[in-house]
Amino acid sequence: MKKTLITMLLLGMLAAPVFAAETIKIAITGPFTGGSAPMGASMRDGAKLAIAEINAGGGVSVGDKKMQFEVIERDDEAKNDRGALIAQELASMSDLSGVIGSVNTGVVLAGDKHFQEKGITKIITPAAGSASMTQWSKAGVPDLSIFRFAAHDGIQSEMVVEEAINRKFTKVAIMYDATNYGVSGRDDMLDQIKKQGNKLEVVASEKFNIGDKDMTAQLLRAKSAGAQAILIWGIGPELAAFANGMAKMEMKMPLIGGWTLSMSNFIDNATKNGNGTLMPQTFIEEPITPKVKSFIDGYHKAYNVTRIASPVSAAQGYDAVFIFAAAVKQAQSLDTRKIKEALEDLRDPVEGVITTWKHPFSKWDPANEQTHEAFRREQVVMGMVQDGRVVFGNDSDRQRLIKNASK
Amino acid sequence: MDFIIIAQMVVSGALMGLVYALIAYGFQLTFSTSKSINFGQGELVMLSAFFSLTLLDWGAPFWLMVPGGLLFGVVLGLAVERAGLRLALEQKSEGWILLTIIIGLLGFSAAENIWGRDDRPFPTPISSDAMQFFGVSITPLEISVAIGVFSLMGLIELFKRKTLLGKAFEAVSADRDAAELMGISATRTVMLSYGLSGLVAAMAGILVSPITTVGPTMASALILKAFSVAVVAGLDSGFGVVVVGIFLGALESLTSFYLGSGWREAPGLILLILALAVRPNGVFGKATIRKV
Repeated sequence: MKKTLITMLLLGMLAAPVFAAETIKIAITGPFTGGSAPMGASMRDGAKLAIAEINAGGGVSVGDKKMQFEVIERDDEAKNDRGALIAQELASMSDLSGVIGSVNTGVVLAGDKHFQEKGITKIITPAAGSASMTQWSKAGVPDLSIFRFAAHDGIQSEMVVEEAINRKFTKVAIMYDATNYGVSGRDDMLDQIKKQGNKLEVVASEKFNIGDKDMTAQLLRAKSAGAQAILIWGIGPELAAFANGMAKMEMKMPLIGGWTLSMSNFIDNATKNGNGTLMPQTFIEEPITPKVKSFIDGYHKAYNVTRIASPVSAAQGYDAVFIFAAAVKQAQSLDTRKIKEALEDLRDPVEGVITTWKHPFSKWDPANEQTHEAFRREQVVMGMVQDGRVVFGNDSDRQRLIKNASK
Repeated sequence: MDFIIIAQMVVSGALMGLVYALIAYGFQLTFSTSKSINFGQGELVMLSAFFSLTLLDWGAPFWLMVPGGLLFGVVLGLAVERAGLRLALEQKSEGWILLTIIIGLLGFSAAENIWGRDDRPFPTPISSDAMQFFGVSITPLEISVAIGVFSLMGLIELFKRKTLLGKAFEAVSADRDAAELMGISATRTVMLSYGLSGLVAAMAGILVSPITTVGPTMASALILKAFSVAVVAGLDSGFGVVVVGIFLGALESLTSFYLGSGWREAPGLILLILALAVRPNGVFGKATIRKV
C-alpha cells in the first residue's frame, strides 16, 4: 500500500511538469480587496471571461498543439510593497508566459522593474498614471517588455480640458488630491490648458487629502472665484464628498475629471448628486453592438451581477487577454521574449470588445513611449454618470462607435 | 456675499465641530471617574457604525437601528472596561494605555475582515437636500447631528445631576476614596462611565456616518480632533467641549478657506500646543490642588 502511494506520488511529480508545459501560464495581478477592488476585480473577471472563452474553443494553436491558458492570480491589495513582492515572485518563475494587471500606479512603479529585469512580458491594465511608462523613456532603456493597455492620463486630461472648452466655459477650478496621482493629474491638466490655447482661466486650484469628507472650503473658494466648472483628479470616496458638497451648496456646475469618477465607490456614495458628472471612458456598459452585448451578457451571467463594478477595467482586461493570445499565436511559442516581439508587431487585427485592434503596439523607442501604449484619443469616449450607471456623455461618441463597428 | 461665505464656513465647520465635541465628551466621561481614557474610542465609533449599517442591511427600520446601534456601543464600552481597564486600575498600573490601544487595533482589523476596507454609504431617511437660511445652506441631515449631540449630552448631564446613580457618578468623580468610604462602588461607577462612553461613541458613529460614509478608517481623523477638543477644553467640563468643538470646527473651515486647504489641520494642532503650554488643565478645566 505504502509503496504504491510513493510510486504514485513520484509518478505525479514526474508527470506534473510535462502537463504544465501544455498550458500557457499567465499571471493576473491587481487589488482584489480594498478601495481599488472594484477596478482590480473587474479587470480580473473580464480577463478570466476571455480566457474561459479561448479555452472553451480549444485554446491557442502553437505548433501542432492547442494550448490552454492557465491563470495565476495574485492580490496586491493596492500596496506598493505587496506589489513588489508579487513581481519578484512571478519574475522568478521560469515558465511564465506573461503578466496582465495592476490598477495603482504606485504598485506599477514598485514592481515592474523586476519584470523588465527578467524580460517578462507584462501588459499594464487599467493603471493610467503617466509615470508607469515615462519611467522607462526617462531611463532610456533600449528594450522594454512592459506594455500598457489603458487610456493614460495624458489622453484623459486632454479630453477633460477639451470638454470644458467645448461646453463654452472660460473659468474653471482645479481640484486634486495630495497623492502622486492627483498632483500629476493637475500638472497634466494645466499643461493641456496651455496646449489648447489658454482658453480656460484657472480661478482656483485646491488640494484635498485622502479621507477628507468636508470639501466646503474648497468649493466655496471655487464658487466665490466664479468658476463655471470643476476639473478634478482624485479617487472615489473623496470625489463623492465633492459631489455631495456641491449639491448642498447648490453649485450646479459640472464636475469633469479622470476616469476614477466612474468608480462604483464614487457612484454609490454620491447617488443622485453624481448625475451629470463627466469622465473619459474606454468602454460604456451599453449594448450598442452585438459584440458588446455578448460581452456584457456573458459577464453578467458568469459573475451573477446586473452591473459591472468597473466596466472600463473589465473590458480592458478582456481585450488585453485576446491581444496576448494573438501574440502567442503569432510567436508560435510560450517564451515570454518571443511573445514580446510578436506584441510589438501584431500582424493580424484582434477583434476586441472596445474596438478592433490593428497593430496596437510597435517596436519600443525610448524617445517615444507611445510605441508601447495601445490607446489613442479615438478609442476613448466621454462618459456621464446617470442614475447609478455610466452612459455616453455625448451621443456623437455612441454613433461613432456603432459606425466603426459596422465598417 | 463675503459675509454669507463666512457664515457658511462657520456653520458647516461648527456642525462638524459638534461631532468632535461628542466624541471628546466620551473621553471626559471615563476620565472623570477613573482618570483613564479609551485610546481606542475611535474604533468604538467605527464598529458601532458598521454594526448599525448591518442592522439596516438585515432590514431593520431606521428607528429600531438607532437603539440597537447604541446598545452595541454600550456593550463595547463595557467590554473595553472589563478587558483593558479593571485590573490595570486595581493595580494602579498604567497598563490600560497599551491595552486600550491594542483593543482598538484589534477592533480595526476585525472590521476590515468582517466588513471589508471599502467606504460604504449609510442610508438615512433624513433628507440631505439643502435648505437656505439667510443665504447659508444647511441640510436637515446636519441639523439632525446638532439635535442628536445636544439631546444626548443633555440627557447624560441630567442623569448625572438628578438620579441617585448619577450622583454616585459625580461623587466618584469628585473623590474616589471618599465615595468608596460612603459605600459607593467605584468599580461599578467606572463600569457605568465606560458604558456611557460607548453609548456616546455609537451615537457619534450613527450621526456622522450618513454624512461621511462608513469605513474602517472613518474615525481616525475624527478622533485626533476630538482629543484636541478634550484637552483644550479640559477633561472635566461638558460645557467646555461643546464650546471648544464648535470653535475648532469653525476655525478649521475658515483657515482652509483663507489660508488654503493645506492648512486645515493647523489650528487644531496649534490650539493643542498652546493649551498644553499655557493651560494644561484646559480652558474650562479646574486647576487641581494637591495637598502634600
